[in-house]
Amino acid sequence: MRKDLVFGMAGSGGDGIVSAGDSLLQAASAEGYHGVMTKSFGSQIRGGESSCRVRISTDPVLNPGGNLDVAVALNWEDFLKFGAELPVAGTTVVIYEAATGVPENQIPLVGVTPLQVIAVPIAAMAKETAGTERAKNTVVLGLIAGWFGIGGEAVMKGISKKLAKKSQELVEANQKAFDAGVAFAKSHPLKADMTVVPSSSKGAVKLLTDGNDMCAAAALFAGCQFFGGYPITPSTEIMQFFTNHVWKYGGAVLQAEDEIAGIGAAVGASFAGKKSMTATSGPGLSLKSEMMGLASIAELPLVIVDVQRGGPSTGLPTKTEQSDLFAAAFSAHGDVIRPVLAPTSVADMFRTTVEAFNIAEYYQTPVIILSDQEIASRKETLDPIDTSTFKIINRLVPAGADLQDYKRFKQTENHISPISHPGMLGGTYLASGIEHVESGAPTNSGSVHQRMNDKRIKKLDPLKERKDLFEITGNPDAPLALVAWGSVAGVCREALQMAQAEGLDVKLMVPYLLYPVAEQTYRDFFASVQKGLVVEQSHLAQTFKVLRMHLDLPKGLQSLARSGANPFLPGEIVAALHHLLSELQRSHEGKLQPQE
Amino acid sequence: MSATMTTPGEFQAKDYKSDLKPIWCPGCGDYSVVQGIYRALAAVGRPPHEVAFISGIGCSSRIPGYTTAYGFNTVHGRALPIAQGIKLANPDLLVLAAGGDGDGFSIGGGHIAHLIRRNIDITYIVMDNQIYGLTKGQLSPTSQKGRTTCTSPYGSLENPVNPLLYVLAYGAGFVAQASPTDLAGMAATLEEAIRYPGFAFVNVQSPCVTYGEEAQQIKGLKAISESLSAIGHDPADRLAAMDLAQHYGEKLHLGVFYKNPEPPPTYDALIRERQAQLSQGALPKERILDLFIKK
Repeated sequence: MRKDLVFGMAGSGGDGIVSAGDSLLQAASAEGYHGVMTKSFGSQIRGGESSCRVRISTDPVLNPGGNLDVAVALNWEDFLKFGAELPVAGTTVVIYEAATGVPENQIPLVGVTPLQVIAVPIAAMAKETAGTERAKNTVVLGLIAGWFGIGGEAVMKGISKKLAKKSQELVEANQKAFDAGVAFAKSHPLKADMTVVPSSSKGAVKLLTDGNDMCAAAALFAGCQFFGGYPITPSTEIMQFFTNHVWKYGGAVLQAEDEIAGIGAAVGASFAGKKSMTATSGPGLSLKSEMMGLASIAELPLVIVDVQRGGPSTGLPTKTEQSDLFAAAFSAHGDVIRPVLAPTSVADMFRTTVEAFNIAEYYQTPVIILSDQEIASRKETLDPIDTSTFKIINRLVPAGADLQDYKRFKQTENHISPISHPGMLGGTYLASGIEHVESGAPTNSGSVHQRMNDKRIKKLDPLKERKDLFEITGNPDAPLALVAWGSVAGVCREALQMAQAEGLDVKLMVPYLLYPVAEQTYRDFFASVQKGLVVEQSHLAQTFKVLRMHLDLPKGLQSLARSGANPFLPGEIVAALHHLLSELQRSHEGKLQPQE
Repeated sequence: MSATMTTPGEFQAKDYKSDLKPIWCPGCGDYSVVQGIYRALAAVGRPPHEVAFISGIGCSSRIPGYTTAYGFNTVHGRALPIAQGIKLANPDLLVLAAGGDGDGFSIGGGHIAHLIRRNIDITYIVMDNQIYGLTKGQLSPTSQKGRTTCTSPYGSLENPVNPLLYVLAYGAGFVAQASPTDLAGMAATLEEAIRYPGFAFVNVQSPCVTYGEEAQQIKGLKAISESLSAIGHDPADRLAAMDLAQHYGEKLHLGVFYKNPEPPPTYDALIRERQAQLSQGALPKERILDLFIKK
């Protein structure tokens, strides 16, 4: 029996492998399991290769998992295209389409001997039972139910619900295909028992969604009433979800003619007094940078979501990467600080998005949410979120005495000036991208520029004191440490648990606030650290470099960085920690030698 | 907020004039344009705090600051997207956008077509002087072919954009031209543009006294100007308007080229309808996550 299983399935676009993953996750969720599903595609619209990875567990799931427990290949060519995204190990059961003609002892996986390899005539079974090869994915679901005990009834319930709208015949055909899969599994038992322990929380209410939809829902909850944007993979679903709902709350969406107009409209809506947002990916972020500068100098609240993908330029549009940190923190000219936040999962996308709006409104600044393709498109089962525990902050609006001789950019103790909006009597002012005095009137004065830069930069200082924007786990005095953010944080959380179970004294920092760098929080964290790793999916190690720019890092702190679309596995991080520990022990032994 | 009802004569032109001193050169055509805007706004009678006036970058884009409205002097070429966001966020506002020919037809040229096809109720005033003035005299998108400037020392090899044909071709519901040669006419045209329910475009031939050519100064403009109403043009006739607009650059036709006699519903009005329809039975925002519950 197993408490946790990681499935990886790949096929060509029409095979329905991702929809099989969806059905599996939904069924598992209905049966009370926790789960995560990530999808990965080639960049073709139809056809091409597609894959998904589904992790199902009796405990909350921290990340999509490392090596596969179960690999399903509908054809080898497509499966192999995913490389390190679908890693097969000695512990993996490999199931593949017999019609590929590949003998079980000759599967094209180099340097690995899987636990068990089974060729199944999936297409033939689909054709025989359902009358069409299109039911291949249903056969696969039957195989999974038969061998691993997940989703027997619930899978077919879900599929029936989906297909009933089309025809009852289709439902029956799929039932036959599913039963054939189950029967095949029963008549070909696995060498090891890999069925999943029944979940104790069957029947509990669970949420099931992905990062993009969660982001849009959180924005609605935070009171966002305007979205201006342009379609771009992998962020578009944020606009799609938003435009399905925002009208009901008196808001609007503008699908603009380009990325610049999208953020421009959002800047305009914010000037008009509404909470406002845009969402994009790397190329769009590059285009939006001038407008971000405008929002900074005009002190307008705005939330910008950047769902990172591989870059530069078009890069890897459908794959995840963490290489936009420099762009988020530093793009657009001039001396400016823009807060940058990053969620680590679908669950905390809610909190991160609400926080982004709160920071934007309170400090009157653009805020960037750095999501990534994995979080954006992965589906998670979640426990319900109690929204009543979230505080919503609205911008400070002038009233009473503020409106006598109103000065929009008035110097105040905390550098935050009450902000009016068109329609407000007594609050008229000139907003501008040009430097301005307190009233908003343009100026060329160097001394005013110095003062206004001071105001715009210092107003954000309190953010750096926010301990709640950092998650620190493990022994506070540990000599070993990990630092990771975004989707990589989940891998490191699991690595931390594994390393601790192996007796390593290690701690983990997950920053939700990436910029401005909270120097003191890092200094405190690094105080005990002799060796550590900053783990990130960025070839340039952007996080490590941003930290080094602001801090004197411990000498033993190293970078574990590589390009996107090459996922980190918890096991390799634990191995790296062991290596660091042995280095540490060697250097300690060295110190014991007489020093003459 | 909903639009304040005012009585005629409640606001005077001076109520829209701010204390800021314009940076424009003495004699610049833009002084007349801002006067025309004061008069038009007074005639329409919306209080200054219900007016949002958005511009890009350039000499003429300084104009919002010289009014008592809510102004936003944004970035080069992007007045229109920002103005649209404002209007969609609060359709009750009277939204004006303004800028120069370079701002509107060069760096920001891609936005006009989309604003026109959306038909959002915004009045867009272009102060067209056929030159980049703020950067001291470079070729602009409306400069005549052959024009020598500091970036075309041997003469321009490019044909100019025809702003009037451009917006007519995309289907703008209101298209007009004005000039400081006739201030009263300009004020009346701007008023009519503001009152038009939908996107309205006014091209103002506004001479640059520092870098402009002799022929484009007031005297030269007067010599080629002709009132559209005086020649009997019917502003409901779009094809006739396009025919006349072809003479941009040779003749200065003043007044309304085209005004849709049956204005279709504006985008902002349709949005309100949609909001009203869909708001019924909406999940309270606090329960938005219920959408993700799987049964």
